[in-house]
Amino acid sequence: MLKCENISFDIDGHNLFSNINLNLKNQKDLLITGPSGIGKTTLLSILCGLQKPTNGNIIYNDIDLYNLAEYEVDNFRGKNLGIVFQNFNLINSFTVKQNIEIAANAIGTKSSDQYFNLLDRVGLADKSHIKVANLSIGEKQRLAVARAFVGEPQWIFCDEPTSSLDDKNANIIANIIKEESSRCRASLVLITHDSRIQTLINFSKILRLGEES
Amino acid sequence: MIVGITIITVSILVNQITKETFSKNNPGLDAVVGAKGSPLQLILSSIHHIDIPTGNISYQNAKKIIKHPAIKSAIPISLGDNFQNFRIVGTNKSFLKLYKANLNSGTAWSKPMQAVIGHNVSKVTNLNINKFFVGSHGLIDTGDVHAEQPYKVVGVLNKTGTILDNLILTSLDSVWNLHSDVNKGKLEITSLLIKYKNKTSAFTFPRLINKGTNMQAASPSFEISKLLKLTSNAHKIIDYLSVLIISLSLIGVFFTLLNNINERRYDLAILRTLGFSRLKLFSIILSEGMIISILGSTIGLIFGYVVYESMYYLSIVGKSLELGQLNFLNDLFLIWIIVNIIAFITCLVPCIKAYKQNIRSTLLNS
Repeated sequence: MLKCENISFDIDGHNLFSNINLNLKNQKDLLITGPSGIGKTTLLSILCGLQKPTNGNIIYNDIDLYNLAEYEVDNFRGKNLGIVFQNFNLINSFTVKQNIEIAANAIGTKSSDQYFNLLDRVGLADKSHIKVANLSIGEKQRLAVARAFVGEPQWIFCDEPTSSLDDKNANIIANIIKEESSRCRASLVLITHDSRIQTLINFSKILRLGEES
Repeated sequence: MIVGITIITVSILVNQITKETFSKNNPGLDAVVGAKGSPLQLILSSIHHIDIPTGNISYQNAKKIIKHPAIKSAIPISLGDNFQNFRIVGTNKSFLKLYKANLNSGTAWSKPMQAVIGHNVSKVTNLNINKFFVGSHGLIDTGDVHAEQPYKVVGVLNKTGTILDNLILTSLDSVWNLHSDVNKGKLEITSLLIKYKNKTSAFTFPRLINKGTNMQAASPSFEISKLLKLTSNAHKIIDYLSVLIISLSLIGVFFTLLNNINERRYDLAILRTLGFSRLKLFSIILSEGMIISILGSTIGLIFGYVVYESMYYLSIVGKSLELGQLNFLNDLFLIWIIVNIIAFITCLVPCIKAYKQNIRSTLLNS
C-alpha cells in the first residue's frame, strides 16, 4: 500500500501544491494528470524519495520513506521502486546491456538470462551492444522502461512515458508498461498530460492536480 | 607518475647499491699507502679498481712500512696490465685471505706467470684452468700486448660479490718480470693495503707517512664518504626532480577526477536514482583514483627495477663496480606507500564533491 499524507511542497517560498492525500492499494494503478507546471514531476520525485516534501509523509507498506536514513531511502528505491523518467535518464556512453546491468548492480542482482528476456520483451535484444546515444527516441523509451523493471519492483513510476512518441510507439510503450507491471504484480503510478494514455491503460484511480479534490 | 616513480626508484637503487658495493669491496682496510697525488684516486685505483693509480712507490720503502709496529698486515699490489679490460693485479697470497676468497678449481699461483682469475673474468673471457692469455699494457685494452710472456691460468675463484670477481691475480714477480725493462732493476709496487693493529693509529700513521716520506697514506672510509657526499648532491637533485614529477602527476590525477566528476554529474545522479547510495558512489570514485595511483606507482617501481637491472647487465658503471643483484628496498616500499597515501587524500576532494551532489537539481539542470 502506498499512502500519501498531507503532502505539500514549497519552492522559493511559493507553494507548488499542498495537502495531497492518497491511498493506493497493491497492484492498483494510479494516473496523475494535470496541466504543465502544476508540479506532477515534483510529486513523482517526492513519491520516489528523490525530493523531500515540505510537509507530509510518504508511507510504503508501513515504512515512512522520509523517516529513513538517506542511504536507506536509496536502498529502498533501488529494490522496490522502478522509475521511468520523462527524459529517460539513461547513461548515454553505456550500451543498452550496460544500462540494464548497472541497474541490476545497484540492487545486487545478477542474472544475464533475466536481462536478455527483459530486453527481448521490449524488443531490444538484438541491440544490446549498441550505445544509448545511437538509439531512436522510441528505443530509448523502451530501454528506460526495461531498466525500471530490472529489480521486479513493487511500484512503478512513469513520468510522461508516451508524450514524445507517435501513436504507434505510444501504443507499444503503454503495452510494455502494462504487461511488465502485471507480470511483476506492481502498482503503476503514471504521470501524464497525454490524453491517449487513458485509452491504452485502465487506471483504477486518477488524481487530477490543480483541481479541488 | 610512472616516470617519476621510475626515476626515483633508479636513483635510490643506484645510490644504495653504490654504497653497498663500496663497502663490500673494502675488506676492513684502514689505509692505503701509495704515490703522492689524489688520495681518492689512490683509494679508487687500489681498492675499487676504478681509477688509474697515482704512480708507483719503491718496494724497498714499502717493506720498511710493512715492518712498522703499528701495522697488523700490509699487502702489496702492483697494477699496470689488463686482459680484455680485466685488471691484472700482482700481489701475494694474503690478498686471497683478505677477501676470504676460495678457489672454485685449481690452485693459487706458485711460480711467476701463473694467474688466478675471478669468477666474472672466467665467465666473460672463457678462460679456464691451463689456458694461456697475454696481458695488455695499461689498464684499458689497447691491443699492445706482452706477447712474449703469456700467463697460465692455474686457478678460478668462487663468486665473492666483490671486486675480486673482476680481477686477475698473479705474483708480484710476474708483474716485475714483464716490466723489468721499465723498472731498470728497481722494484716498484703501486700501493700497500694496510690494516692497523690498533685503530688509534689512524691519527698518527698517515701523518707519519704523509710528512716523513715521498708517499701518501689515504683512509678508504674517509675518502669514500667524501665521494658519496659529493654524489649524494646529484642524487638529491634527481630525487627533487622525481618528487616534482610525482607531485605533478598527483595534481593530474586530482584534476582528471574532478573533471570526470563534472562531466559525469548527470550519470552519477542517474546511479543514485537506481539505488546507489552516496557512500557507494564515493567509494567507486575513490577506487578509480586509487587504481590509477596504485597502477602508476607499481608500474613505475617495476620500470625502475627494469632500468636498474638493464644498467647492471649493460655494466654502464664499468666492470669494476658491480651493482649487485635485485634488492627490494624498504625505502622504495615506503615511497610507494607515501605516494598512494597522498593520492588517497587528493582523491578525497572529488569524492566529497560527488558525495554532496544533489540528485534532483542535477537531473533537472541536465
